[in-house]
Amino acid sequence: MAESETPKTRPRPLVRLGIFLISHSLLVSVVCCTAGVLALLLLPVLAKNTYISENALMPGSANAMLSSEDISEAHRFMNDLTGLNLKTGETGIESSRLIARYMSDLGADVNYHKFHPQPNQFRPLHFFSNSDSRIIQENICCSSHGVNTVGIIRAPRGDGKEAIVLVTPYNSHKIDLAEALSLAIAYSVFSLLTRVTWLAKDIIWLAADSKYGEYASVSAWLRDYQTPVFGDFEKPYSEICCESNARHGLKESEITERKISDVFRRAGTMAAALVIKVSDGNKQADGTLSIYAEASNGQMPNLDLINIVNNLAVHRQGLQVKVEKLLSLLDSKWLRILGEVFESVGNIARSLNPQWKFGIPAADYMEGAATLASSLYYQALGVPTGSHGAFRDYQVDAITLEISPKVALNNKIRQTEFLQRGGRLIEGVIRSVNNLLEKFHQSFFLYLLTSPSKFVSVGVYMIAFALLVAPLPIVAASLYSDANKWDSSLKKHDPTSSPKSADDEHRNILRSWKWLYAAKQVFIIHSWGVLVSLLPYLICQMPNWMSKVLTWLILGSPIIDADASQSQKREWAILKSVTISAAFIGLCLMSVINFATAEIGALLLVPMCLLAHPLRLDVRAHSLKAFTRAGCNLVLGFIGFPPAAFFVLKGSFEGFESVNISDFWNWIESLWAWNSATYLYIE
Amino acid sequence: MEEEKETTTTTTTKKKQCFWTWALASVIFRLVLIHFSRNLNLASRPEVSTPLTSLRRLAEGYWLKQSSISPYAGSMYHGSPLLLSILGPLTVQRGEGQYNHLICSLLFVIADFMTAVLIRATGQSLQMAYNQSLKSLGIVRLLERSEMLSSGDIAALVYLWNPLTIVTCVGSSTSPIENLFVVLSLYGACRRLVPLAAFGWVIATHLSLYPAILIVPLILILGYGPDSPRRKLFQQRASSKVGENPSTDIRYQQKELASQPMLPFRFSWRLVVHFILWASLWSCYVLLLCGISVRRYGGLGEMFKSTYGFILTVPDLSPNIGVLWYFFAEVFDYFRNFFLIVFHVNILFMILPLAIRLNHRPCFLAFVYIAISSLLKSYPSVGDSALYLGLLGLFVKELADMQFSFFLFCGYVGISFLSPVMHNLWIWRGTGNANFYFATAMAYACFQIILVVESVSAMLNHDRMLRKLSIMKP
Repeated sequence: MAESETPKTRPRPLVRLGIFLISHSLLVSVVCCTAGVLALLLLPVLAKNTYISENALMPGSANAMLSSEDISEAHRFMNDLTGLNLKTGETGIESSRLIARYMSDLGADVNYHKFHPQPNQFRPLHFFSNSDSRIIQENICCSSHGVNTVGIIRAPRGDGKEAIVLVTPYNSHKIDLAEALSLAIAYSVFSLLTRVTWLAKDIIWLAADSKYGEYASVSAWLRDYQTPVFGDFEKPYSEICCESNARHGLKESEITERKISDVFRRAGTMAAALVIKVSDGNKQADGTLSIYAEASNGQMPNLDLINIVNNLAVHRQGLQVKVEKLLSLLDSKWLRILGEVFESVGNIARSLNPQWKFGIPAADYMEGAATLASSLYYQALGVPTGSHGAFRDYQVDAITLEISPKVALNNKIRQTEFLQRGGRLIEGVIRSVNNLLEKFHQSFFLYLLTSPSKFVSVGVYMIAFALLVAPLPIVAASLYSDANKWDSSLKKHDPTSSPKSADDEHRNILRSWKWLYAAKQVFIIHSWGVLVSLLPYLICQMPNWMSKVLTWLILGSPIIDADASQSQKREWAILKSVTISAAFIGLCLMSVINFATAEIGALLLVPMCLLAHPLRLDVRAHSLKAFTRAGCNLVLGFIGFPPAAFFVLKGSFEGFESVNISDFWNWIESLWAWNSATYLYIE
Repeated sequence: MEEEKETTTTTTTKKKQCFWTWALASVIFRLVLIHFSRNLNLASRPEVSTPLTSLRRLAEGYWLKQSSISPYAGSMYHGSPLLLSILGPLTVQRGEGQYNHLICSLLFVIADFMTAVLIRATGQSLQMAYNQSLKSLGIVRLLERSEMLSSGDIAALVYLWNPLTIVTCVGSSTSPIENLFVVLSLYGACRRLVPLAAFGWVIATHLSLYPAILIVPLILILGYGPDSPRRKLFQQRASSKVGENPSTDIRYQQKELASQPMLPFRFSWRLVVHFILWASLWSCYVLLLCGISVRRYGGLGEMFKSTYGFILTVPDLSPNIGVLWYFFAEVFDYFRNFFLIVFHVNILFMILPLAIRLNHRPCFLAFVYIAISSLLKSYPSVGDSALYLGLLGLFVKELADMQFSFFLFCGYVGISFLSPVMHNLWIWRGTGNANFYFATAMAYACFQIILVVESVSAMLNHDRMLRKLSIMKP
């Protein structure tokens, strides 16, 4: 009714704009998609320089206090560690005891933290449940536990409510030189911090036993740190392992260490965490510092933390800072051409108006694009790039600093120099974080790095995404309104045949609710998708034969369903519009959770959604255009499907690898991808 | 009519069976979910349980009362003392696990089911009234639509299968019980069971205060009868009939008049007075009971202060899906009282104009009131939305031409997914902030507004169409 009245009364401008967009949906969608892709490629150009937005940090405002005494102490410590390695075959406990002894000599509170590598299982409902009920495993064998050594310095000026964490992963069975160096760096800083007066936050040094992987040990320690166990829960655990405890106790009493204990010690909430690693220096032999920041599910630490490290490393210690790049992109030709085009455009712009500082050199562009691509890739994967990822699950900002020395470190002087540099860097960072009055909150959490000192903030990259996704609602609306119009025109034609009119009206009455059927179908397919994606989880829990039967049932059911529901063109249009709007909602949700995944998903899904068309109708149409379209569909379907399957596989592996929220959402994303792919297949 | 019924009995029985199977399926679904409710942990979601409806708070209040402290001490519990004595014993954790917990959840399932049955009964009486009025207007053609599933069944199924209802029911908040009493009062009014209507209204008001404004539609239902086209139409039609065919035999006219015995021309004051009497009786009774149960803990004054006072002064600013918490967290303290008045008067302002415009459709008016109050409530939850979305199903036929239905549907789906995600970003991940969550709350409010506006305009359009039809086809 409203449609018939529109010509008479001119609608308001906003409505007119909407109608205009909807009526030219094809053009609009093509323009928007290309603009979206272009904007994505432009992101390295649009990147801004980083700046330290929290004033309290004041990086580099004080001179480094790390003296040569600390360094020589650290060197002795390192020699002891490596010497231990040579002496005995079984160094598992020896090394941790050595570290503990050194820690307590410095006057720190020391405790051992025993953990068992948790058999990782995928819990899909983890995101919603948020339950912290820990499953106490029945069959823990004592032999397979790792021992983290934790030392805590109580700050003279603090109240014990806040802490900064240093993490040095090392393999307790065999400590190689790089690990010993990283431990030595931490030790030198630690020994300095026991003496300084300015410390306002407790310092926790976690020497994480990476026998079972870095991530496992750090996350086990964090889990125990954040969820205190009350009551009797600890008893069976300690009873099982009392044997090893007793052995420990005996040996410790010999040394008469008062402060070393098995009691879990805590400091306050963590302000930041630094994971220190030293690379072997074989790969790229220059004094570089690599920063790894991606935590689970594409979460990033606060940009300020990266800024401080970058600032101190570049300006104070003269290290070259790197972030991960996709090296293959550096050689690609089209990227170079694109970079040159952008550069020339920038030059032209500058010649027109010198105020416009738009272009960047092509080489810079390529570097930026490669970094951006890897940043997107790791965020999209959702797997943390190091043990810092465990911290982010507890809202602690953490990064991994991997320092690679300039030359091989066999020489003692070289080692000392290296220790000094690394130690001063860590000291500076800790001093900055120590100045912090509140949690990191000033700078960005949602950003993409294009180089260590350049970033793209959420406000910029969302534009690209929005442009890419914008066609979806428009096309959905146009399809929907077309279907409705078709209906109403049918109504207008019909009154000539009067006996039908009642029936027609009956149909017409529910016209605006017609989408319900389509929604039902989409809902069924999506719930089937959820079921399929949950299958690995379910299979784990069910006996084998039963799950097999179920799998076949589940995989088989939708095909029957879809065959039955194939019907008129109009219904198809509504179905498509419902599907597209569902995909739109899903993508928007995903963009909030994990932008990178959403972006990649959108790149795959949007063309697929827009081009999807029933094959059967195409074949019936017998025209060249239809055939090309069908071909296009098939090709896209094939392109879309393998990545989707790949996604699902990847998702499942991740799911088994690490139990966290991320994977669930990864799953969802893969599920979206898969759903639409199945759509193409079905139709 | 009778013959038609006989021919369609088989289909109706089939439909009935269909309805009952689906209803039972929903109950079973709920029971399955309740079995997993520990893992779902819905009770701690801010969307599901508000400070007023949270069962955990009720358990706390009961515990306080058991240790002979006022249940309202410590600003934990803000519900009715009656609910405390009924539900309280069920919240106690005994040594033998979760037996009581299950009984409590079962109670909510039963409440949901009863609500659905009452909605269905209300829908049937509404449909009867609708059919009758259409017949008396002579627009029989529209009646052919009624061959589909009746609107009562649709509404009941929408209520039972609405994910929001299910979430509320499983998430152990007390809103299913509040909804039950709201629907009970509407049912009583539609069936002209004055004591029942008064009882439902009094208890619903006692539990959550906002249903108090439903007194307007309830009086209108009792006075004029359930929803019908405009009264002017009947008068026009009657007069035109009389004017048009005076020559036709009087017998026919008399028959026609006999077939429409209770044309809602007059406002029946008798029922309304009865209603008011019953309502005052019930409220005295409820107050008496409350007085007895809180006698030792500061009396009724304390109860009013920490239930209705808590609702009206919005002291708890923990995030929920409403818009008030954010606003009152931001507002300066010396403007607070002013804005409190503004926000609450907002609801009251709506009452009169809507009542004048929609006085011929009191049930729809009740739906609009419930939707508006759940929009401007101080502590809204999805349970309120579940109620008005269920009631919306009652008017399926009238609202068939509603615009933007698909848009609204997408909006509701999107918001219901987005809201937990934003909450997660803000609270658990720390990458978002309160604005993220509040944005979804605002979007939700916008969708609710669009829903109300569109449904009202669709209803008015429907009335216009009826008028046209009745004028065209004398």
